[in-house]
Amino acid sequence: MFSDTLALTGRSLKKWIRNPAAIMPGLFMAVFWLALFGSSFNPVNLVPTQIVGTQLSPALVDQIKFAMSSVFGGAANYITFLTAGVIAFIVIINMAYGGIDIVIDRQLGYLNSLLSAPISRASIFFSGTLQNFVKAMFIAVLAFIVAVLLPNGLRVGAGFGVLNFLGVFVAFGLLTFGFGCLFTSVAFSLRQVDSLVAIINFLAFPLVFMSSAMFPLGTFPAWLKEIAEVNPVTKASETARLLIVNGNLSAGQLSTMAGNMLYLVVFATVLAVIGYLIARRALRAE
Amino acid sequence: MKNKIIEAENLTKIYKKSVKAVDGISFSIEEGELFGFLGPNGAGKTTTIKMLTTLATITSGKAVVAGYDVAKNPSAVRKAIGMVPQELTADDELKGLENLLLSAKLHHIPNDAAHKKAQDLLSLLELEGAAQRQVKTYSGGMRRRLQLAIGLIHEPKILFLDEPTLGLDIQTRQKMWAYIRHLNRENGITVFITTHYLEEADSLCDRIAIIDSGIIKVSGYPSELKSKLGGTILTLQLTNGADISANLRSIKDVDEVEKKGETYRIKLGRTDALPTIIETVTNGGLKISDINLTKPTLDQVFLQITGNTMRDSSSNGDSYGQRVLIERLK
Repeated sequence: MFSDTLALTGRSLKKWIRNPAAIMPGLFMAVFWLALFGSSFNPVNLVPTQIVGTQLSPALVDQIKFAMSSVFGGAANYITFLTAGVIAFIVIINMAYGGIDIVIDRQLGYLNSLLSAPISRASIFFSGTLQNFVKAMFIAVLAFIVAVLLPNGLRVGAGFGVLNFLGVFVAFGLLTFGFGCLFTSVAFSLRQVDSLVAIINFLAFPLVFMSSAMFPLGTFPAWLKEIAEVNPVTKASETARLLIVNGNLSAGQLSTMAGNMLYLVVFATVLAVIGYLIARRALRAE
Repeated sequence: MKNKIIEAENLTKIYKKSVKAVDGISFSIEEGELFGFLGPNGAGKTTTIKMLTTLATITSGKAVVAGYDVAKNPSAVRKAIGMVPQELTADDELKGLENLLLSAKLHHIPNDAAHKKAQDLLSLLELEGAAQRQVKTYSGGMRRRLQLAIGLIHEPKILFLDEPTLGLDIQTRQKMWAYIRHLNRENGITVFITTHYLEEADSLCDRIAIIDSGIIKVSGYPSELKSKLGGTILTLQLTNGADISANLRSIKDVDEVEKKGETYRIKLGRTDALPTIIETVTNGGLKISDINLTKPTLDQVFLQITGNTMRDSSSNGDSYGQRVLIERLK
């Protein structure tokens, strides 16, 4: 089963590598969100230097700026806060739209040729997830690099190292895999690209907006905050931010991170099982 | 007597509890046979292939393929069969050889053996020169040949071919049939084939079955089916008037003689009677000014059985796949 999964994943990745233009949409999305959306807003710029004609003391202004920044997890600027959210958004969108290839494989009869071969249905399902996983994570890393390279872009905390970087992408990897399994199983269940796009729009946007991907939970109304707090997108984004903003984590931050990671592991496992069950149903003989 | 390698008993497929695609068909195919499965669009050909290749469940009845019950042991069936679908499923972006090796990998053939088998097939199907080219650069005929190679990479006992010559020009089509004949005669592969081209089915298949509306209407040897339809018609146009109808009628194997002016329409049971007919004409001092011999064709058998109405149903309602197929064959 393992070698079948790898063979099928290899097929898709080979095609991907041969068509470098395929990463452009993902890359553009990262650049636009970070460079345009991210640069246009910075919470510390909202802090006034005077109120109804009265000049505020520079010390007070700095205090307010500090307070404002801590609402944004201590990020030096909005791009530093936003990067994690944009990566979450990118991986979700990529996993979702990656399903189009799967629907087309069915329409072209390729899926049938796999189904009449002696390979397990699990291989077909997991290769579908894995191929999009690799692509999504690659673009996620590119987005991170874009954020760092932008003028007044992502600023990592002092002591940010390889482990922090790995931690960020383990968190996103779990998020990507979990949602990937779900979207892939949906794609295997559908016969038309149109229906897939409709489902993507219905799922992907609320998933991202009902989380702390774009804005801190502190600004949310209570009802939305309750949903956002259990959203895996929030868990992954917060974990990534902890690791980006604070190079060296305190004991408290470490335990928050460990809790989030555990949450994401459980999430990814449960969705892999659910996804597999949905896909197995969809891959049954007609 | 040879082993039965495919046996279908009362095979029935009902889609969505109401659409009877295949309605209780029974047939058996011997090992090494080249079996043609013919029928108009929407007759149930592809559904039958889908059931035999584990892609569709069997609503009722039973199918045994290569010794395994399809419903009970689908994975053993998948190992024993090769499938060449109507659609061109080879990957456009991959090279010809890569497509073959991927299929080999999915059939768990060790690397060395896979390379060797792939080379053999590429040379058999005259695709060596194109092995390192992406499939999107292939012509329609090359794609069909590659598709055939993909179905053969794991040396299956039975090869299912669903319309393997669809959309090909006559030269390529004949070439394709030569390959199929070769595989059947030389390598002993049992072939189950569906086709629209009846003259090809006639010249190639050992036995055929004609299916319509989910029911097998007739099955047997092509020659047998044609002679059942009626004998050969000989049309003779003679000069110098004497009526020799009676003489002709007395010849063995002449079933019927009709005279209209100087034209005789003679229905023959067997063509063995021809020399005697010519002799009779010349002995009577008559001259032949025109002669025409019409043998019954499988087309006529087919039309008689399935009727003349046009079938508009598209095979699976999957018009997108059909359009892509046409595009790729261009």
